[in-house]
Amino acid sequence: MFLLLRHLARQRREIALPRGPRGSLHLRHVDAGSCNGCEHELQATAGPFHDMQRFGLFITASPRHADVLLITGPVTTRMRHALEVAYASMPEPRLVAALGDCALGCGLLGDPREHLNGVGDVLPVDIRIPGCPPDPETIARHLVAAMERPGHARPRGVPATGGDAAPG
Amino acid sequence: MPGVDALRVTTVGPWGLRGEVEDALAAGGVVEALFAAHGADGVAEVRCVVALPDGPLLVRCPLPAGVAPSVVDLVPALDWDEREAHDLHGVTFEGGVHRPLVDHPEDPAAWMTPVAGTDVHQVAVGPIHAGVIESGHFRFHAVGERILHVDARLFHKHRGLERAAEGRAAPDALPVVQRACAACAVANTVAFAEAVEQARGMWPDEPMRRARTLLLELERLYNHLNDLGQICAGVGLAPGAMAFAGFKERAQRVVHGLVGHRFLFGSVAVGASDLPLPAAAVAAARRDLADLRADATRAGRSLLLDAALRDRTRGTGVVSRDEARRLGMVGPAARASGLAGDVREGSPRLWYAGFRAASPEDPAGDVAARVEVRVVELRQTFDLLDDLLSGPLGPGGATVAGSPRAHGVGRVEGARGRTVCAVELDGDVARRVHLRTGSYANWPAVARAAAGATLPDFPLINKSFELCYACVDR
Ligand code: SF4
Repeated sequence: MFLLLRHLARQRREIALPRGPRGSLHLRHVDAGSCNGCEHELQATAGPFHDMQRFGLFITASPRHADVLLITGPVTTRMRHALEVAYASMPEPRLVAALGDCALGCGLLGDPREHLNGVGDVLPVDIRIPGCPPDPETIARHLVAAMERPGHARPRGVPATGGDAAPG
Repeated sequence: MPGVDALRVTTVGPWGLRGEVEDALAAGGVVEALFAAHGADGVAEVRCVVALPDGPLLVRCPLPAGVAPSVVDLVPALDWDEREAHDLHGVTFEGGVHRPLVDHPEDPAAWMTPVAGTDVHQVAVGPIHAGVIESGHFRFHAVGERILHVDARLFHKHRGLERAAEGRAAPDALPVVQRACAACAVANTVAFAEAVEQARGMWPDEPMRRARTLLLELERLYNHLNDLGQICAGVGLAPGAMAFAGFKERAQRVVHGLVGHRFLFGSVAVGASDLPLPAAAVAAARRDLADLRADATRAGRSLLLDAALRDRTRGTGVVSRDEARRLGMVGPAARASGLAGDVREGSPRLWYAGFRAASPEDPAGDVAARVEVRVVELRQTFDLLDDLLSGPLGPGGATVAGSPRAHGVGRVEGARGRTVCAVELDGDVARRVHLRTGSYANWPAVARAAAGATLPDFPLINKSFELCYACVDR
């Protein structure tokens, strides 16, 4: 077990993500028709190597407790309603993140009669995380940067500080 | 060995379909998929992919009236297949009650199995779940905490991928098939590519067979590691969950180092294999895999010996061997129920000569057996990977060894079991693509395994199968 922990410590140092500002974002993930690749990478972002919790990023079970609705997939007709209900149950201020190329409307793989062309067709998108799938570092980088976005609600009322975060 | 898997195609009328299926079963065959298509004349037909002891068979059954006899009483595993053919292609099956599968009618009574009795109540879960999980809805019928029955309502993620692939030239259809599921991208695309190659009368050379086998085993590696971690998470065994999540990450880094994509996207092509696989990357991968093997083996052994884990997994979510056969289960889950069968044992287009599937010591069909089967299969995967990486690797291709035909079928053992892809070509263009994955075969078994369990055990039982939604919904 200690061997594993040593290994882990080394890997974490290698990742060297920027710490970003102090604060937190609580994320509710909604799969709106992904291929599951974006889910795997989001799980990895919350996993032992990248451990996004150390940046103040948490997956939360209910949209009622979430600052960010993190959406994967192009939004299938059969998921649209559930997605809208989840968004409607969020408290203000709230952010919408589109995770992956499908959610951003550039996947273009599927029958257009079965899905919309990305999250932007139903909700206002604040955070765009490109990639197919975006790797865990890219996901973490974009979410950390979102805590610093000028003009956006700063959840938990943390004042803006000059973090070194930048979209990757 | 060109021609060893030559596909026979036979056409029968609706009146002959049941007889054809009965004959196949009597000959020791397995009906691996049933799907609908439209012939060149626009007439609907159902097609069955049958694995007979002497080779694969495609049964075509044109339906001038759009009505087919149901064969679910003969092959219960085809229940979902028939329901899908109805919902997506309008075929009516005579001789059964139709419950929508891909269609999502408002009225729950339309798609649920009626369950009645004193104190029976329903618990609705999903499509959005609490963790980072794919979307799907489950309706539990329970008395107190005891589950009587579960109706799974999947296909929330239906993207019409088969239709999107159709009408494209085969190489352009492949990326569509690939995006059916990231975790099974290689299995699905190899099945598709093999189907196209079989139809075109092409036979892969040795480098191509080796390269595809390498990709398939790399995919199995991170999937099995992932699944073991998920099972630990399902019982709240945090050290196991973290350790295996870490192993999976290490496996994906090896994969990325070799192929340049963490999910092996873009690594399979029709009729060719042009992975660069530079010697330095291969050597690094061998080293990293040896390290990973040592750590994962030790952790796997700890899991098998962990008393707390065994307490939760022994006798939980049991699917007996007979039930597994009846439901047409495939893959590690079927082997955990004592059902032999691994496509790798008969894959002439891949590099599995002499391969024999490992089986758990006690194939009791419970969660514990599904843990053990993955631990023993990982050992084989590490062996295969080292063998392949230490041998010659380079670009390969397929040569035309027979005459082109319209139909081809590819069969691959994915991480979750047998994946079958049936392709109909019109020249270069894919006219019909049908993908039936291991997850598709096994979802009904999840519901079966959950019946009689308690509600809090469902996540654990579900994780012990760890099926994809994406490659079912397509
Ligand atoms: S962006 Fe790529 S990885 Fe993510 S869901 Fe779409 S196809 Fe899958």
